[in-house]
Amino acid sequence: MRKLLLVAAAAVVPLVAAGCGEKPTVTVYKQGQYQGKPDMQPWDNEQFKGDKVAWEKAVKARTLGQNEYERVVAH
Amino acid sequence: MHDNLALRWVMRLSIALVTVLLPQFALGTEDLAKQQAARQITQPLNNAPMWREVRKGENPYQTTQVRGVETNILIQTEGQIWREIRNGPVTIYGGWLLVLVVVALGIFYWWRGRIMLKQPPTGRLVQRFTPWERLVHWGTAISFVVLAITGLTTLFGKYVLLPVFGYTLFSWLATLSKTLHNFVGPLFAVCAIIMFFTFVRDNIWQRGDLQWILSAGGLFTGRHVPSWRFNIAEKFWFWLGVTFLGVAVSATGFILDFSNFGQGRLLMQLSNVVHAVGALLFIALAFGHIYLGTIGMEGAYESMRNGHVDEAWVKEHHEYWYNEVASQSRTAGGVPSTAPASAMKEGWKT
Amino acid sequence: MARMKFLADAERCIECNGCVTACKQEHEIPWGVNRRRVVTLNDGMPGEKSISVACMHCSDAPCMAVCPVDVFYKTSEGIVLHDKDLCIGCGYCFYACPFGAPQFPQDGAFGLRGKMDKCTFCAGGPEPDFSAAEFKKYGRNRIAEGKLPACAERCATKALLGGDGDVIADIYRRRVTTRGRGSEVWGWGTAYGKPEKQPAAPPPGGKS
Repeated sequence: MRKLLLVAAAAVVPLVAAGCGEKPTVTVYKQGQYQGKPDMQPWDNEQFKGDKVAWEKAVKARTLGQNEYERVVAH
Repeated sequence: MHDNLALRWVMRLSIALVTVLLPQFALGTEDLAKQQAARQITQPLNNAPMWREVRKGENPYQTTQVRGVETNILIQTEGQIWREIRNGPVTIYGGWLLVLVVVALGIFYWWRGRIMLKQPPTGRLVQRFTPWERLVHWGTAISFVVLAITGLTTLFGKYVLLPVFGYTLFSWLATLSKTLHNFVGPLFAVCAIIMFFTFVRDNIWQRGDLQWILSAGGLFTGRHVPSWRFNIAEKFWFWLGVTFLGVAVSATGFILDFSNFGQGRLLMQLSNVVHAVGALLFIALAFGHIYLGTIGMEGAYESMRNGHVDEAWVKEHHEYWYNEVASQSRTAGGVPSTAPASAMKEGWKT
Repeated sequence: MARMKFLADAERCIECNGCVTACKQEHEIPWGVNRRRVVTLNDGMPGEKSISVACMHCSDAPCMAVCPVDVFYKTSEGIVLHDKDLCIGCGYCFYACPFGAPQFPQDGAFGLRGKMDKCTFCAGGPEPDFSAAEFKKYGRNRIAEGKLPACAERCATKALLGGDGDVIADIYRRRVTTRGRGSEVWGWGTAYGKPEKQPAAPPPGGKS
């Protein structure tokens, strides 16, 4: 009984100690998963067919399109 | 890193205090709004008073089309303070507190062992707890254990259970935990209130209690120290645990559990911190109570399980109460017990 | 890599609630849930200002930190998304969020809130892109279509900008120098003030 208790305590200590400390909310991208959660990258679909550059160009064009000074002058 | 964290926490707390206290002395929000209106005339391009106001949060002139609690508040900085406190000291020190208590109890058990009766049992039984008292105790105890396990899952599960079970399984577990916690909570509050009125009579300060404190109940020396029906350690558990922490945890629990009354976020954050700190202390104390009530002391568990204890046990642990019972002035239930030894087994039915 | 941000221009917002409507329409959001709202300061007084606010997709997001089941994740564009299948409806993200972004479909007794819902920067969720399940839970995935959030793209006065933080900051800077006032970028200190935490070692030779 005493040994069992000591073993149980020894097992519990590192487990609970692992909980002491804040997990950093880090962006980690690996194997098509964000922080261990499955999700696709926005360019991994039928529309862009994995072409990251094409997606970035499309988004950049949209973002710049919000600048009405450019819109009036250039086009 | 840890010193840094503690320092940062103290800083955050002071900021929180200042944000709460400063508006009492500084300009009211109405004044700031008027100031902004005046500034529009003198300096049309200066919005400084308005941005100061946004920082402060509450503003009577802040409106939105969206219905709901605090939807007109643009920004609330208290959430970040709450996050730092909850994820920082509450989790870190609370976790270590529970670990230390378990380790300390383990060491105590290894050193002192199970506290056995020195005298052989006499075979004569004394009723220590009435069926009603046992019902109230176990109602409170079982709901407490459920709440403790589910509450600890919510606070530490992310770090301890999530890596073991994985996201999906842990999410089910956490959903079950949260639902159990929210529904068992009110039951515990009711049980704790009944418990207070059931046991308060024997938990007041009595003559001889001081002596018990001075010798620490003979817990470390094994010396005989007389006490009344409840010794000071039990009275301490009753007042600090059941009563004080019970009220603190129940009251804040109700605020968090019934969010449908439209209480604001600051109240919920404060409640959550009080709830977590109170519950962690409560659990730490409960570890000691459960230890002594089960493996720590011979006869303690049986007294609450069956309601009856051997005369030798009463004489050894609660001598003043024994004298009282022996003189038949009063017993636990007000009735002198004449139960035979066989009642140990039948005790549950009495 | 683009770092997606929202920018609300208090000098331009006319409190038309067009962004709120665009959001509700785009994602078919149920009653009682408002991923975006417009708050008016000093309503009815000289110098009144309005600001459109939703999830700002913070660098060091408090919601992620306090979530007991760790439902949140951040895309490589810095968008904070969450998995509704894992959400237990505890409401902690709502306590922690500076902007009041997390929404709950119910406000029942005993803490029955339902699954949390919030702005996704029109980037959907963990379900497969363009799937029915993704639309039902998180709304349309415009980011995967190479578009920007509906609210920002449909803002009539361009008070609400969305997209790569550097690009929209440039647009805003030019605007401020042109009009000569209103340089306060609301909420950026709170949302993006903390340094972005990046993976410890980016793969060598990879695109930035």
